[in-house]
Amino acid sequence: MIEVHDVRKKFGAVQALGGVSFTARDGQITALLGPNGAGKTTLLRTLVGLLKRDQGSISIDGIDPEKDPMAVRRNIGFLTDQFGLYERLSTREYLSYFGELNGMDRTLLAKRIDEVSELLGMEDILERRSKGFSQGQRIKVALARTLLHRPRHLLLDEPSRGLDVMSTRALRTALSALRGDGCCVIMATHVMQEVTALCEDVIVIAGGHTVAQGSPEELCRRTGITDLEDAFVSLVGTEEGIA
Amino acid sequence: MKARMTSKLLIVLRKELRETLREKRTLALLALFTLLYPLMIGFMMHQLIDKSTKSEREGIELAVIGGAKAPTLMAQLGQKNITVKDMPPMEEEAIGELLRTKKVVAVLRLPDDFTENYYAMRPARLEVWFDSATETNAQRREVTDVLDAYGANIASARLLAHGVSPAALTPIQVQRYDTGTNASRSAMLIGSVIGILFFPAFMLSMSAAVDSTAGERERRSLEVLMAQPAHTWELVGGKWLAASVLAIVGVTFELVLAHVILKWLPLEEIGMSWSLGWGELALVCLVTVPLSLLAGALYVALAMNAKTFKEAQTVLSFVMIAPLVPGLVVSMLDLKTAQWMYLVPMLSNQTLVKELSKGGDIGALPFLLTFLCSAIPALVVVAIASWRMKSERYVLAV
Repeated sequence: MIEVHDVRKKFGAVQALGGVSFTARDGQITALLGPNGAGKTTLLRTLVGLLKRDQGSISIDGIDPEKDPMAVRRNIGFLTDQFGLYERLSTREYLSYFGELNGMDRTLLAKRIDEVSELLGMEDILERRSKGFSQGQRIKVALARTLLHRPRHLLLDEPSRGLDVMSTRALRTALSALRGDGCCVIMATHVMQEVTALCEDVIVIAGGHTVAQGSPEELCRRTGITDLEDAFVSLVGTEEGIA
Repeated sequence: MKARMTSKLLIVLRKELRETLREKRTLALLALFTLLYPLMIGFMMHQLIDKSTKSEREGIELAVIGGAKAPTLMAQLGQKNITVKDMPPMEEEAIGELLRTKKVVAVLRLPDDFTENYYAMRPARLEVWFDSATETNAQRREVTDVLDAYGANIASARLLAHGVSPAALTPIQVQRYDTGTNASRSAMLIGSVIGILFFPAFMLSMSAAVDSTAGERERRSLEVLMAQPAHTWELVGGKWLAASVLAIVGVTFELVLAHVILKWLPLEEIGMSWSLGWGELALVCLVTVPLSLLAGALYVALAMNAKTFKEAQTVLSFVMIAPLVPGLVVSMLDLKTAQWMYLVPMLSNQTLVKELSKGGDIGALPFLLTFLCSAIPALVVVAIASWRMKSERYVLAV
């Protein structure tokens, strides 16, 4: 469970987060919706303890990432918006590296690598070096990395970008399985279809503030708009949405 | 807990090494540089020894035209170990041609009127032809010295015949003493050889350091790494050691190779010495390890702040040359070995080997100082780099 209360963060004169509050429950997929520049990346970085908040409180299964970032990170799978692979390492070696950094032993690693590659359908690229991988293959490898150590929490920044239809379905199956296992998933996305199909809960942030939280139906009801996309635009406010 | 932290550093170290070792072209280039230097020293020294022993053996060759006109002079030249080659009369162009072949130091021509003038006690003209562009000045001076002595002898004899003391002709007597022994000349030579001996410590760690920091940033994989449950000092430490390992291996290998070559060369022929034993060499290699570590630390600390591979390379190229400066300054100012030199990284290693090559006991302190003067800064730099990576400013820039 991830609980965030009134988190604020300022970079110089820029107020990146002006008061973000939400709760993401276990066994649920929570969508994080927000226009570009709304503060999603800053929020995710604060959650893993890479950035320190100026104000407010964060609790991830009761642990404050600022006080014990190592404990929090051991329990988080983090897919960043920009990521690079190591071109001179094979997919298996790449996954082993991050698995070992998360304290996994050899036998467990071998087992989990097989499991996640089957889950994401990437057995064909497991022994290949990542030089020349397509965008879809890259994001699969990165996704596999986030799932590898069976984290209780997943922070995914646009996990479906660049994936073809088959892979998107595989991703959805994987996320549903994780939800079934009782994981707490936060997924930043711009695809409304995905939100309606997958997510129980939606957090809308704009300009560094939480604008709304609730299920997709609730948001539609509150705005009086039936289409989620239109509801989102109305919540964000057109001007801000474009900025 | 402690053991687990250390092992994370090892995980990073192993991964970085694996990546570096797969960069075959870079490795080949580095290996080439490492091997080339000792071999180059060996070749140059060999040439030098060959040249210097050859000139001693063979003496000076002088071409003489019309030598029969002055038999005493020829005899005197012979006494001075100058080989006289009798030549038929030659034109100016032919003489120039002969000098260009560098087989003779100079050409001495006695004109036809030499004997006539000699007996008439008029100044008898002698011609010395030489090529000032060649590097045979010392040998040429020996020839002119013989000519001067020959002239002075004749003058003395003539004065004596007139009842005048020849001493009147020499109001002063110049006696030259050359203290420039082979040994002092060779001290400079070996100084310059040693000057670059430790350079690979700085050269070999660069590419790995840049690739694992600025390269990782450029490829956008650093943020993911920083979000792992590993402390920044473990990440920085692993990258630091991975970059340094290459330098440690390279420098040790190069020192051993240079040692073998310098031991094998007959350096005493040119008054040089390389009196290190294998035990001392092992100690030198050991105290040079921190120099490689310092190089790796500096590179990692600087390169991690560069946004791209290229930017890092430009910055580091300057850093790479900086360690050579103290050694250059010391040799230019011709400073005597002093304790403070063991406190400057790189210079301390150079000084240590310089002193050891002369032979004699220098005690343990220089070794200890050499070790510490690199080891302590290396740890400080790594600590600063770790602290820097943890800072928010850095996270935002990644």
